[in-house]
Amino acid sequence: MEKIQITLNINDKSCEVMVYENDTLLEVLRDKLDLTGSKESCGEGACGSCTVHMDGKPVRSCLTLAMEAQGVKITTVEGLANGDELSDLQQSFIDHGAVQCGFCTPGMLMSADALLKENPRPDDKTIRKALAGNICRCTGYTKIVEAVAHAGNPKDHCLDCKSAK
Amino acid sequence: MSDYTIIGKRMPRVDSRAKVMGKAKFTADLKLPGMLVGKIKRSPYAHAKILNINTSKAMALPGVKAVVTGKDTEGIKWGVFAYTRDQEFIQTQKVRYIGDEVAGVAAVDEETAIKALDLIEVTYEELPAVFDPMAAMASQTELIHEDFPDNINIHVNIDTGHVDENFKKAHYIREDTFVASEESYFQAEPYAIAARFDHEDCLEVWMPNGGPHMKAKPLSNAFKIPLHKVKVRKIAIGGAFGGRSEICPVDYICALLAKKTKQPVKIEFTREENTIATRQGHSMITTHKTGVDKDGRVLARETTCYMDGGAYSSTGPIATSVPFLSMEQAYRMGSVRYNGYRIYTNKPIRGMIRTHGRGFACGLDTQLDMIAENLGIDPVEIRLKNSRQSGEYTSTKSYVDSCAMDETILKAVEKSGFKEKWGKLPPFHGIGIGTNSVQTGFPMGIRGGSQSFIKFNEDGEATVMSGVVDNGQGNDNMLVQIAAEELGLLPEDIHLVSADTETTSSDPGSYSQVSTFVGGQAVKNAAANCREKLFKVASKILKVAPETLAAANRMIFVKNDPEKSIPIRKVVRISLLNFTSVNAEGGYWPRVDMKREWVSNPYGQMCEAFSFGTTIVEVKVDPDTGQVEVMEVTAAQDVGYALNPLVLEGQFEGSIAMGGQGGMLTEYHEWKDGRCINTTMLDYKLPLACDMPPKINNIIVESIDPKGPYGAKEAGMSIAMSAAQGYSSAVSNAIGVYMDSFPLTPDKILAAIKEKKQ
Repeated sequence: MEKIQITLNINDKSCEVMVYENDTLLEVLRDKLDLTGSKESCGEGACGSCTVHMDGKPVRSCLTLAMEAQGVKITTVEGLANGDELSDLQQSFIDHGAVQCGFCTPGMLMSADALLKENPRPDDKTIRKALAGNICRCTGYTKIVEAVAHAGNPKDHCLDCKSAK
Repeated sequence: MSDYTIIGKRMPRVDSRAKVMGKAKFTADLKLPGMLVGKIKRSPYAHAKILNINTSKAMALPGVKAVVTGKDTEGIKWGVFAYTRDQEFIQTQKVRYIGDEVAGVAAVDEETAIKALDLIEVTYEELPAVFDPMAAMASQTELIHEDFPDNINIHVNIDTGHVDENFKKAHYIREDTFVASEESYFQAEPYAIAARFDHEDCLEVWMPNGGPHMKAKPLSNAFKIPLHKVKVRKIAIGGAFGGRSEICPVDYICALLAKKTKQPVKIEFTREENTIATRQGHSMITTHKTGVDKDGRVLARETTCYMDGGAYSSTGPIATSVPFLSMEQAYRMGSVRYNGYRIYTNKPIRGMIRTHGRGFACGLDTQLDMIAENLGIDPVEIRLKNSRQSGEYTSTKSYVDSCAMDETILKAVEKSGFKEKWGKLPPFHGIGIGTNSVQTGFPMGIRGGSQSFIKFNEDGEATVMSGVVDNGQGNDNMLVQIAAEELGLLPEDIHLVSADTETTSSDPGSYSQVSTFVGGQAVKNAAANCREKLFKVASKILKVAPETLAAANRMIFVKNDPEKSIPIRKVVRISLLNFTSVNAEGGYWPRVDMKREWVSNPYGQMCEAFSFGTTIVEVKVDPDTGQVEVMEVTAAQDVGYALNPLVLEGQFEGSIAMGGQGGMLTEYHEWKDGRCINTTMLDYKLPLACDMPPKINNIIVESIDPKGPYGAKEAGMSIAMSAAQGYSSAVSNAIGVYMDSFPLTPDKILAAIKEKKQ
């Protein structure tokens, strides 16, 4: 198989990269571009650990070919913060204890971020539905759901929102 | 207890920032210069003789750098104990389960490595296989291991005496059998290992582990190199749940490939390999015979348990004992006889798991509910009659110091409204209770203790070294919190160096619920020693006695006159100008009975503290589909002291997901001729966010253990077990049938409802 040069727009940067036609976006992100924040846990689209955004929509990068990701805006977990300044959602995950082992966290954040952009004040059920494609083995999801509900919603502050902005 | 500045607070974890930014590095994320890709050739047969292995075609494939087989291992066998060394790192004689290691390959890329696996020619002679522990014991065909008659791997016998005579005194006796299938860890991170030999011929390895020092020693033995030449490095770990404690063949194979190629090698498991070729939970068949007096007090109990151990020993003696120990800790028994058998079968290897013994515990609790019904008392009453009390000894002679079991029961009962609901709920709506206890550590001989070193840097910040590993539960944060509290610093002033065998001292690891109790205590002691040095210097400057000083917020001050103070940074610098560095060490070794042994002498002090917990669950069952809707879960645990309630709640909630929602409703393995057919996340049903109960009540109970750091004990496992018991009890209560086969899947629930109707 011949390698092909493609251009991907990742986290607002244009990246030229040589890929095989059957390379997944996840492989290219992790192996070729050193963006290892996106994780492979199941490799079959069941767990959501590899979730990234394509034009703001969450997709599973393990099921997406790199070739298909041309011409769109790709955002990975590395692109959520503004430099060293965390997004409200990232800070909320920290403050609410939503991170344990952290392996599912990048994918969880990407799914939640896409939800919040569409619906800034989702209720509990909506959050659980939006995160139903992301498996977490550590937390039992309670603190993740809280973190999403309280991110950027200062009116709903709880005990753990205190260190949030 | 409220005068701590950092301990006891809802402190967000120090490791979270790197994780939310995608910066935390896990093993699969590592790239080392010249790194090769390793892959494992596995057995397609459940039981077969290896007649020949031909690697020449694989070796000839361009890009292949090394192929290793059993010939390269010098016949070294692995086993946790001297009497359980039954597993070669790469099989030479025969394979014993589908997935057994027969060869390893290192190549320039994954595609080449996979091609090479196909080119390795292995000739087998298939042998009859056994997949059921009862059949394995009765089997007349070739033994799985020739030194183990009847395929019995481990037999643990515990007998307090007086069992038969106490049964004669009993008012009521029941004997019931309960079965439970295998479950798996499904850690988010599939197992991975990277290994290289450095310029000083030191073996450097990165892998998820439940104890770096527990990985280093067997590697040092296997490669016949001194322990200091094995450097297990710190790396972020995506969960363990008991499954990553011992060394596994891939650790050895990866290092062997690195040695042969003189290049770094990384092996990443597929999800299937993580399920098949690490460890699984044991399936078990448990018979409890219990005799009680007319008030429901247990006078005598006889328990016999058969566990399907799979192909090798692994942590067999521990696994055969722990389900019994959890229950003997939780409940008083007048007398007891336990026979636990771990049986070899031609299935994947079973090890310790957070929910180990779910069928055992659920069975015991179900039987208590049955006895209570017979006696006309409620499930709470019978538990309170038999619950462990502080100041008692367990049946195997462990002294129980702090114990707030009753408080966990009473608080959970009150919060859940159990008394108002039990027996009064509409049809197919039920409530149930489960109680459990977990140990903090096992007797581990010379590896039972932990030691920490602390050094102050000239800027007044401190570096803390500890062998404790963080699998995701928050151990790193626990150590930082403790060090900051003791040293009077802020958490951000502490630099933690941990889980690296080159720079830290031996530590028992995280898998026996011992990290806080032992490792945390070691850091506390080291920090207290370090603080003493600071106070000595500060007392001269402030012209007061060292005993009058305290430290907090980067300052040392006079307790009764806080205005009289000096920054810690200044004290460090003054000390350095006076030719004295500020550093210290401290350790902790739990006073356990070193003569206690799992099989030969299962009596004596097991560990210094036990945690106790209760979970109450309320469910609705759909009688047409058998689906269970969990409405509310209330979990109460005696954790000793809550070092960080935010982290503790996360352990409670995660435990409910793994032990209750998954462990009791959806998680189990399915088999066809020894082949596991649900190895992936699509097929094995893990709880999702939308599956979890809408309401979880966490109740932290504190008994302030006299030996635990600040009184703390354990929090990672007890709820996972009591949640399983609570779930099963609630479902049985909802459908009016005592269930005896776990997990409680819709087919079993529907069958029970149907049978009851007839």
